[in-house]
Amino acid sequence: MLSSPTIKRPVAERHNADPLRGKARARLGTVTWHAVLGGVAVLMLFPIAWALLTSFKPDNEIYSLAPIADNPTLEHYVYAVTKFPIALLLGNTLIMALGVAVGQILIAVLAAFALVYFRPASRGVFTALLAGALVVPAQTLIIPQFLLTARLGWQNTDIGLIVPQLGACALAVLLLVQHVQNIPASQSNAARLEGAQPHEILFHIILPALRPAISAVFILVFISTWNEYLWPLLVAGRLEDSVAQIGLNLFMTAEGNNYGGLLAAAALTSIPIVIVYLFASRRITDAFLNSGVK
Amino acid sequence: MLKTLEGPPGAAPTTVADASKAVPHPAPARRLTLSWLYLSPLVIVLAMWIYGPMIASAVLSLMDWDLSAGFSGWVGGENYADLMVHPDFVRSAAQTLFYAVALVPFATIVPMVLAVMMWQRLSRASHVYRVLLFLPVMVAPVANAVSWKFMLNPLQGLANEVLDLFGAAPVNWLGDPAIAPVMIVLVTAARVVAFNILIYSAALAVIDRRTLDAARIEGATSTDITRYIVMPQLTKTTVLLGLLVIVMAGQWVFNNVAILTQGGPDGSTDNVYYHIYTLGFSFFETGMASAASMIVLAVFMAAFGVYALLQRKGKRADAL
Repeated sequence: MLSSPTIKRPVAERHNADPLRGKARARLGTVTWHAVLGGVAVLMLFPIAWALLTSFKPDNEIYSLAPIADNPTLEHYVYAVTKFPIALLLGNTLIMALGVAVGQILIAVLAAFALVYFRPASRGVFTALLAGALVVPAQTLIIPQFLLTARLGWQNTDIGLIVPQLGACALAVLLLVQHVQNIPASQSNAARLEGAQPHEILFHIILPALRPAISAVFILVFISTWNEYLWPLLVAGRLEDSVAQIGLNLFMTAEGNNYGGLLAAAALTSIPIVIVYLFASRRITDAFLNSGVK
Repeated sequence: MLKTLEGPPGAAPTTVADASKAVPHPAPARRLTLSWLYLSPLVIVLAMWIYGPMIASAVLSLMDWDLSAGFSGWVGGENYADLMVHPDFVRSAAQTLFYAVALVPFATIVPMVLAVMMWQRLSRASHVYRVLLFLPVMVAPVANAVSWKFMLNPLQGLANEVLDLFGAAPVNWLGDPAIAPVMIVLVTAARVVAFNILIYSAALAVIDRRTLDAARIEGATSTDITRYIVMPQLTKTTVLLGLLVIVMAGQWVFNNVAILTQGGPDGSTDNVYYHIYTLGFSFFETGMASAASMIVLAVFMAAFGVYALLQRKGKRADAL
């Protein structure tokens, strides 16, 4: 992302006759730099960090202003795990996120290949339809989407969670179209001359070249589906069939002031993604960056 | 294999693009069948879950339809007429604008300053900040909302405890119609700032650091560099992000409104997107909710059209 690191020239040093004064000023600059960035990081992450710290406090300390508990405890985690079907919810969330990510990628790879390789006359129409699908606000379609899902009998099923969210594949398709276009045509032309079928070209030439793009799209779709709230709320409102986001919301409604258990549950539902992010932050931010859209 | 494409020496030079035209595709009829075969999954999901529902929404908006009881007659434009004069809907539209305006600084100036600061120093520390400042995008929205709800708890929450230390009276953060919308903006802001830092960083990464060194050798001060090299680079990004936040803010606050306030107190945190959801799934007014959807869709598409136009114009303007 950043171009090659070059020699850092402290500007202050060169513009000051007195080197000591320059150094002092540079140090002051560093302090301000850390103060601003560190301060913003603390502000932005404070609620989450505070919630995490609180989840280790016993009930009688839960409102205490001390950040670290005097008697740290895991009781809230034990409670959350026993009273709250966390494993089931995380399992359902994983199935939903995997299903949507894999489904969207299958649709997108086939469509992107077809649009670039066969150059159908309908190409412009597809581009317009995809752009339209990309920008239409999800909330304006939930009513007919819900009615259709209910009519199909898909409420409270994995199919009902996954299939309607495949409709949101426009971004994946548009991204992969770009990447397929960037693959040099010479190899597939050569293969075509030797009599290769389109599916052979797709599998042996396009797919291997597309692998990094596919993994970026996978990361993007997986994370946004993992954090999806609205659609599961509509079609999987029952705790036992639902996903982590909805389960957490139900927990909040049911156990209003049991903040210890609630915050522990919140931590458990967020930690998987956060850990993955901390280990692969560069790949994940790159994936988001390539999308250019939230 | 590639030799066949290069041609004999002395022949007209064959570029890759020329070659693609020279190589015969499968027969046209077969090509058409095959391309539709590959495109069919996309066609099916778009028809079932995007464009079908859009048409269905238009039809439903002309009906009196209760989510539990079903269709009970055509009403023509009545749903639209009712909505346009309904104070709740009108207010939700005004609230949508409020969110759009309130989030603008968090989408533009705040992430811009932070991204520039991180970019000015390539160090281990700036990498750590980069990782930390993107973290809010990763945290699940419900977990984030739960954390805020705990802090803003009116009885013993941290926010009021701290106010108490300074001798200030407790505030009903999410229960006061004057304050709750501001809190929704702040809860959403962290995510917007985090994401847009990334976008600005990408825009900054395009600047060649050798250009900067050259400018410094020529005697440019860091103020000069900011004004003449960095700012022009970021202007386009800022315009895009500013327009994007204005168009998208209503959708970005949706989860936090749904989880923290359910549009209350007294509808003060409502917006059109949440209003559609409430009409449809709390009041079961399917027809009315569809009419609201159509209105929002029309306004949104118009706004996006302008946005796309500006973007295209911008692209043309600085095409090199």
